[in-house]
Order: sequence, then structure tokens, then C-alpha cells
Amino acid sequence: MFSPFSINFESPTQWHGDLPVTSRYTAGIALERFFIALRDEGKILGIRCSRCSKTYVPPTLFCPQCLTELQEFVDVGLHGEIYTYTISYRNLDGSLSNAPQVIAFIKIADGGIIHKIEGIPPHQVFIGMKVAAVLKPTAERSGSILDICAFKPFG
Amino acid sequence: MEREVAIVGVGWEGFQPTTPHYSYKELIYQAAQKAYHNANVDPRKDIQSFVTVAEDFIEGTSIFDEYTPDQLGAVLKPMHTITGDGLHGLITAYLMIRSGICKIAAVEAHSKASNIKTLSQITHYALDPMLNRPFEFHPDFIAGLEMARFLHEAHITPEDCALVVQKNRRNALENPSAPYGFDYRLEEIQDCQPVAYPLLESHIAQPADGAIVVVLASREIAESLTVEPIWILGVGWCNDMYNLEYRDWGHLPYVTKAAQMAYHQAQIQTPSKKIDFAEVDDLYAYRELMSLVALGLISKHELPDALKMGKFHSTGQLPINLSGGSLGMGNLLEANGLAKLVEAVLQLRGQAGKRQLSFPHIGLVQSWRGIPTSSAAVVILASS
Ligand SMILES: [Zn+2]
Repeated sequence: MFSPFSINFESPTQWHGDLPVTSRYTAGIALERFFIALRDEGKILGIRCSRCSKTYVPPTLFCPQCLTELQEFVDVGLHGEIYTYTISYRNLDGSLSNAPQVIAFIKIADGGIIHKIEGIPPHQVFIGMKVAAVLKPTAERSGSILDICAFKPFG
Repeated sequence: MEREVAIVGVGWEGFQPTTPHYSYKELIYQAAQKAYHNANVDPRKDIQSFVTVAEDFIEGTSIFDEYTPDQLGAVLKPMHTITGDGLHGLITAYLMIRSGICKIAAVEAHSKASNIKTLSQITHYALDPMLNRPFEFHPDFIAGLEMARFLHEAHITPEDCALVVQKNRRNALENPSAPYGFDYRLEEIQDCQPVAYPLLESHIAQPADGAIVVVLASREIAESLTVEPIWILGVGWCNDMYNLEYRDWGHLPYVTKAAQMAYHQAQIQTPSKKIDFAEVDDLYAYRELMSLVALGLISKHELPDALKMGKFHSTGQLPINLSGGSLGMGNLLEANGLAKLVEAVLQLRGQAGKRQLSFPHIGLVQSWRGIPTSSAAVVILASS
């Protein structure tokens, strides 16, 4: 029989450990095309499944519904609609952030992009708002989702 | 209805915001001893197979499944670990008994959340590395996006979500195992800090430590034991696409599919009429409401009135999360499903103390693995 009350609170009862985890991730055929088009041509690409009449954004090599291998990349433009949004008040580590950030799922074709909304006070953002991607200058783009600075209202 | 597999023992240790005195192994050992005593079985002699659920990053140990046998009495016995909620583990054990591989099995799930120093980073690490991680957002933004879309589609307000918080934390006051019981006024809940608008700090289940062990047995064994068997009438599980970009933000189709699978097996055509009470996911208050709709226990347009009328209160027509739910018991990570299952077993046995319903026959338990997952499990239980 043991009792938790027998513990000496000054004794070493814990050990702290950590692990440096560093990985490489392969974009894959479909996402590589997506990021290269964004970097070099300033375009957002989707991919079409004619069998399901769906255009996936970001593109995928295969249709998750019918498993057809997809090849028909399409330029879906830089515009979309706010499908849902939130205002985040936390940093990644849980601490309070100095500047609340509007984050939205911007619907484009049958998919979309998760990104920041800027250029408008947070309380004026609404579901259904039309927004457009603002890209970094070509020379600064690296083939990343951050090649889009943010989405801003238009029209 | 089929009565082939029963729950014959439950044991748990906790739940507490911290457990500085026990290691996770000791927590599990305590819960296991209680479950085996509850079922009146000898783990070394009687239990033929063991299932545990765990996730390495949460445990802080690689290949964590190697660390699970000794504290359960599973050394040199058939056992395996799956990454899933405790209900997924329970369903795995159920399937082993149904298939005839064994006649008596134990399932374990636990949380040593107080030892995790960087939970938000671990959750962040579950996101798509190229599409979502580069922003370094706090991962609760996903709950914020989902909540906003659900409120928009269902014409639900943040005040309705505050009612869920109030109910579950009040229910927890009647549950001696729930550390987060409190009688809040609605204004206190609504005046809380926003985390990811419209999601407030008060809408989020706070972490807790604990361990749960459940013993299952085939019909012939269950009927020979002294404890009243609680029958598993139906099980279901389902996953949606993991991409945030392809997600249906206003609904939980994976919860609906998991429930339909369980209803079909349990031969339940109208769940809202057959189910006496339910323990459903409430890691975020809005998720309880979304889950109730997805489970077919209420329609979207009936929901606002049902909330105001107290339909889901302990004295209401369909009591939900009598245990206090995750808001009241705490977020027990992979053990959330089993914590809810324990409540259902206690209710059906008539052992739920001050929160006991009068003669419930059928209870439903549903769990979700939390953000960013699209993973659901449903179990339907019945008293003898
Ligand atoms: Zn298709």
C-alpha cells in the first residue's frame, strides 16, 4: 500500500525532456504545380474531376470521391468568397497576441484556401464577403502559401 | 436487438487538473485494478486480449505502445495500441469478441495532460505542413472557423453555446469525478476572453488527467459474472477528408455516418424517440450542438427552442452530458470517449448517484478526437 502523502515535495519527482523534430515534406505532383504556378505566374490552380463535376482547390492528384487520377489543372482566378472566418487572439504558444488576426476559409470553386484577411477592420468582415488574393511582388515569391500576403475585400 | 457483447467492468482514476503524485503508469494501474475488481475478473488468468489508445507526441515518448502491457496485466498476452479515441479502442475489443478471437477483453485510455508543456504546438504539428502550418496560427482557429459557420447556418447564437457551458458545468457539480463543476451565471460565461471569435475561453474544455479501463465480455461470460451486463447494441465509426480546404464547415457528416452505422446495427429507426440520454462530444460548447444535429437527435431548426426550453438538461426530455461532459470532467485527450462511456454504464446500471435518471434503457455515447481531426465514433448501450 502506498500513499501520495508520503512524497517529499523537495525530492526530484519530475524530469523535463524535449526532442528536436525536423522533417522534409514532399509537396507531390499536384501541390508542386500549385506552388510553382503561384510563384512564377501569380495564379491559383485547381484541378477538375469531370466525373464528379468538381474543381478541387488546392489541386490533388486524385479525386477523393471517385479516386480517378486527375490531370486537368485549371486557373481558378484570385477571387473567392469568405465561407467562414474567425478572429484569433492567441499566438501559437497560447499567449495573448497584440494584434488580433482575422483568419478565413475563402471558398474558391469546390475547395478554397485558409488565409489571413486584411485591409478591413475585423468587425466589418462577414460570411459571404467577396475577397481577392494580394500577392507578394514576383521577386519575393518563393513557392509557398505565404506568396499570398493576405486576402482583401474587393468590389 | 443483438446482445452478444457486454461491458462487465469499469474503473477510472481521476479526473483532476493535475496528478503530480502519480506517473501515467500508476494512474493506469489504479484504473485497471478498479475495473478488474468491478468485473470480478483476474486479469492474469481471465482477460484474453488488451487494447490501448495513445498518441506518441501527446505521451512524449516514441513507440509508446511498448509502454502499455505491465500496468494492465497484459505482459506476454495479446495486446496492441491504436491511435484513436478510447471509443475506437472499445470498438476494436468489441470486434475481437464478436469475431470469436477472445471472450473477454480490456480497453484502456488515459490522459496525463498536465505533463504536456506544448499541447498547442503538438496540435499545430498535425496540420498540413505546406498549406496551413506556415502561418503559425494558434490551432483553435479551426474551432473558431467551424463554430462561426455552424452558428451562421443553424441560426444559433454564442448565448446558446453559453447555455451548453452552463448546463454541463452545473451537471459536473453532481459528478464526484468531475473537477470542473461550477454554477456560472450566463453573463460570466459570455464575458470571458475571446480565443478565436466567436469562440470564447469559457467554451473550451480545460485539460484534465485521468485513466479509464473497461472490461468487455461475450454473452456467455457476461451472463456468468456477478455484475449486471450493459449490452453493446451498436457501434459505428467514420472519418472525413482531413484537408481543411475540402471540409464541410457547417456540418459533421462523419458523425452522421458513424451514428447511422450504429443505429442500423441496433435497429433504431427514430433515434430521438429511442435514446433516453446521450453523452456527446463537447470539447468546445458549440460541438455539443453540432453533434446533436449530426446524430439525428434534433433538427437544426428545432435546436434554438429546445435549448431555451431546457430539453437537454438533467430533468429535460433528452438529458445530454449528465456527467458534465468534457466541459465538466475536463479534456481527457484520447480518454474522452471512455469517460463518457463510464457515465452511460453507470446510468444504465442505476449507479450514477445524485445525477441518476429514473430507469434509462438506452444510452448513446459519441466522441471526436479534437481539432484538427474529422474522426468520430459512436456506441449505443442498453441495460439488461
Ligand atoms: Zn471524382
